[in-house]
Amino acid sequence: MLQKTRLLATVAAAGLVWACGGGGDAGGDGDAGDAGGETAAPVVDPATAGAISGLIAFEGEAPAAERIDMAEEPECDDAYPGDGALTQHALVSSDGMLGNVFVYVKEGLGAGFPTPSQPAVLDQENCRYHPHIVGLQVDQPLLIRNSDPILHNINTQPSINRGFNISQPQAGMETTRDFGMAEVMIPVKCDVHGWMSAFVGVVDHPYFAVSRGDGAFSLPNLPPGDYVVEAWHELFGTQTANVTVGEGATAEVSFTFNAGMARNAVVPLGDPLIIKHAEDGSLTAVREPADD
Amino acid sequence: MAGGSGFRFARCALGMRSLLASLRGLRIVAAALAARIPGAAWSMPLPVGLSRVRWMGVMIAVLVALLPPARLAPAQDAASGEAIYRAWCLECHGAEGRGDGPAATHMLPRPRDFVGARYQIRTTASGELPTDDDLMRVMRDGLPGTAMPGWPNLSDQEKRDVVAYIKSFSPFFERETPEVLQRSADPGGGADRALAGREVYGTLECARCHGEQGRGDGRSAPTLEDWRGFPVRAADLSEPWLFNGGMGADAIHTRFLTGVDGTPMPSNQDALEAGVVTEEDLWDLAHYVAGLGPAEAPELEEVVRVERREQLPDGPADEAWDDLPRFYFPLVGQIVEPPRQFSPTVDGVWVQGVHDGAELALRVEWHDPSNSPDPGWQEWQDKIAGALYSDESAIPVEPLPDLLALQFPMTFSDGRGRPYFLMGEGRNPVYLWLWHSRRGAVEGRATGLGTAEVVDSGAGLTASAEWEAGRWRVVFRRPLAAADDGMLSFSEGAPIPIAFFAWDGSSGETGTRGSISAWYFIGLQPPPSNAVFMAPLVAFLVTGGLGMFAVRRAQKSYRG
Amino acid sequence: MSRESSYLRHPFWQALAVLVGSYLLFKFGIGYLLPAIGVHSAPVPSSVLLQYMLTVVVALLLYVSTSEDRWTRFKEPLRQVLVDPDKRVLRVALLVALPLLVGFLTYGRVRADVGAPPSLRSIHPAPPNQITFRGEPISLTGLENPLREHGSFEEHLAAGSTVYVQNCMPCHGDRLDGEGPATHALNPVPANFTDNGTISQLTESYVFWRIAKGGPGLPVEGAPWNSAMPAWEDLLTADEIWAVTLFIYERSGSTPRTWEESNEGEGH
Repeated sequence: MLQKTRLLATVAAAGLVWACGGGGDAGGDGDAGDAGGETAAPVVDPATAGAISGLIAFEGEAPAAERIDMAEEPECDDAYPGDGALTQHALVSSDGMLGNVFVYVKEGLGAGFPTPSQPAVLDQENCRYHPHIVGLQVDQPLLIRNSDPILHNINTQPSINRGFNISQPQAGMETTRDFGMAEVMIPVKCDVHGWMSAFVGVVDHPYFAVSRGDGAFSLPNLPPGDYVVEAWHELFGTQTANVTVGEGATAEVSFTFNAGMARNAVVPLGDPLIIKHAEDGSLTAVREPADD
Repeated sequence: MAGGSGFRFARCALGMRSLLASLRGLRIVAAALAARIPGAAWSMPLPVGLSRVRWMGVMIAVLVALLPPARLAPAQDAASGEAIYRAWCLECHGAEGRGDGPAATHMLPRPRDFVGARYQIRTTASGELPTDDDLMRVMRDGLPGTAMPGWPNLSDQEKRDVVAYIKSFSPFFERETPEVLQRSADPGGGADRALAGREVYGTLECARCHGEQGRGDGRSAPTLEDWRGFPVRAADLSEPWLFNGGMGADAIHTRFLTGVDGTPMPSNQDALEAGVVTEEDLWDLAHYVAGLGPAEAPELEEVVRVERREQLPDGPADEAWDDLPRFYFPLVGQIVEPPRQFSPTVDGVWVQGVHDGAELALRVEWHDPSNSPDPGWQEWQDKIAGALYSDESAIPVEPLPDLLALQFPMTFSDGRGRPYFLMGEGRNPVYLWLWHSRRGAVEGRATGLGTAEVVDSGAGLTASAEWEAGRWRVVFRRPLAAADDGMLSFSEGAPIPIAFFAWDGSSGETGTRGSISAWYFIGLQPPPSNAVFMAPLVAFLVTGGLGMFAVRRAQKSYRG
Repeated sequence: MSRESSYLRHPFWQALAVLVGSYLLFKFGIGYLLPAIGVHSAPVPSSVLLQYMLTVVVALLLYVSTSEDRWTRFKEPLRQVLVDPDKRVLRVALLVALPLLVGFLTYGRVRADVGAPPSLRSIHPAPPNQITFRGEPISLTGLENPLREHGSFEEHLAAGSTVYVQNCMPCHGDRLDGEGPATHALNPVPANFTDNGTISQLTESYVFWRIAKGGPGLPVEGAPWNSAMPAWEDLLTADEIWAVTLFIYERSGSTPRTWEESNEGEGH
């Protein structure tokens, strides 16, 4: 009986040390009983690794880009001669391909992929975010830089992570943050310049990409298996596809968005948010359009 | 400062909690032990056969068992909190804590959404949860400038229970434990500090939202939204008594570092850590902002002292106004007759008056971030309409002007028997001075809301107005006497009722939607009479004479 | 006997101490110290303060003059100031300062501003026997809240709660204590339902009348021009008014006056 008593105290103390001193874990529960150390990162065998690649197409007429009035910020306005700065909500190429779509493996992967220490970068230059869509892993640093000689504020508005809002009043200022939970997508805005918007996609593995201007994307070095891949666009919502990756093979998958999907799109802001608990302790957030 | 640190704290707290859980387990073990040891009682002699190590174990177990349970379990009862929540909080914050109770649709800012758990007023870093103390403070003091009152009718324990309950709406509180952000102590104010703060105000570009004079009229002001997409007014820094987080340099400094989460106001903690601003800078700025408004909410006096002068000031910017006393009257939304306005723009007017025996001049001054109609505020107007007016008809779509109405009784009375304060009623009309931001002023008459018609007293009302950096200043002038007997003549020496009605066009205010005041008075000072100086002189002489007399009498009787 | 105790035992200084002490007590003790220890109180108006102080002065004079010896000792310091050659400076100073003070106070009275007219207002004016509600005559005499007899009390309460927060709360407050977000702009302040001087003194029919007809429906002695209370007749149905009436009694912990009680006590 006494041994048991001491054992209990030891386990609890070990749990405390782990919780306060440990690092690098992607957010498991803090129960003392789980204090068994970290799971080994899955190793992808280069001999069998495959890939997913594909194209994002767009059908129909894309919403026209609109001119952004940056007159109040001459430093930025001067960077856009001619027509001035245009909105980039729908980046459709001349041959009908859609850029700035965030593509990632939604289901089918294990856990415990190593966290890169190399930061993802979100730059503010000429009163725009570069890139417009940022992908990064859970706990991977996000370096936020202000390259403009004016005030920007970075207002992140996640649902599952905590949203922060910080000022960067000077050119060259850098801030590093990270997100502890997977979340697609986190809207980012600058309240000083209402037109500035970016989205950050946080996933717990390295298999994500943003479609280029020609609609192409690829998810390389993927272990063979069955996956659900999701493509997310800020106006046209999400689509998923089931993909099987064979040993050493590259699976092709394509998504086609059209203008009619805009009303079905996820609404990044404005509606009340419901966070749901799952049995395993994970959280999902749903925005339900308000009835009124 | 990164999200990771918050996360580590969460885990640390979880670890703590599991340690405590184990301690609770120990208590049970100890109790079981106590039952097994023959004749167990703490004062019993050492039972033979137990080694010293084991004895130590028993002692520890006993000590743990003796720890009061209150130290282990948080003394908060979410179930009791729920009952209180249902009675007092639910109508605004909603049954599910989403800030969508039946009263919420009228409010701006909206009631807190406890599920999303973006809390504005905290002592923690941006992105972190509030501490229990933060939540307790808000429940105790309320949030000035919002519909959230303090709750002195609830005991501290009841408040703690409610805090436990509202935290249960959000899983964030299970995952993370907030930590108070360390701030430096206030080095104290001073004129130099405030002057230096003005510089920092420029460096940090506060004016982008708050405006050059801090009246919430910055260029970005019309575009501001909270995290749920509702329009947010940039704080009017010259009205600190309405600051959500309280007034004074220390509270202001806290907001600089914590930010006001869920709103466009960012935290400057990162800028401080990056060396872009210094501790000194932020305290300079805090004292500068604290000095933009009065140290206390303006006191309400019922009567505007309208002094008599030889000459009336020229226009709204004439420096002669600076010598005259100012009187503040609070305004609130017109919430009686639909369509109603519960969260209006104009929250008060400053009034000054002067007359020369023949003519009366009144200067009315109020803060309005927009010089309406202004197409630059059209988007704001639409958003306000969407947020506040959706449940009622008549949503304006055109850019609207700013308006002001001064109400008086139709004819002079002794200050009693006034008309109904909402533009009068059938038998008892009001006489109006109606000012329009583009057309100037006319005289009017009304027998209820929305019944105003133009009339002419024959006296000739004029107005000159100036909008500058988020402030309207309008000077009305009219001869004291009306040509028409049926209309109000202003007489000296008696209180004349006055009430105010203001509309901000850029917030879609028109008709019955606007800000109103109760009845107050203007008092025209009569011409100076010699009595003002004679009476004190006589009193002085009489008292002095009596004193001398008393001294003489006393000296005579005691010596004589 | 030490100098200090001679001051303490001297009737003049005793009287002065009592005078100052009672002033402080009336001025600050009643208004500010009692609330600090949790007793409900309010600052004493200056007219009442003057009355109290006069009473104290009379009592003190009675006390010091009851014994010849005490009276003589009481007058001693006064005599010294008026007569003694070594108090000459003090004497002259008082002879100048006192008249100056009186002159200054007189100046303050004479140049007084135009004041607000006195608000003579009956808080609970007598109600009419009958009112017309949306065109229908309703007899108030003997009328009870019909919702107490019909339907589910809980449902009525919930309905009343919603009516309250959407219409009444801005002025009468979340806590029903007349401290809502709009209260600071109203004059006079809205009724505090948790005060037992308000709805506890009234029948529910009276409250129905006040809600239905509001400020404009007050008789002249109730100073209708001095009330910001709207007439809710056109905005709320009779059932909604009865429901919110039920709610304000229930939530504020008040009990309505019944008609039996009203008949015993004369009027309101």
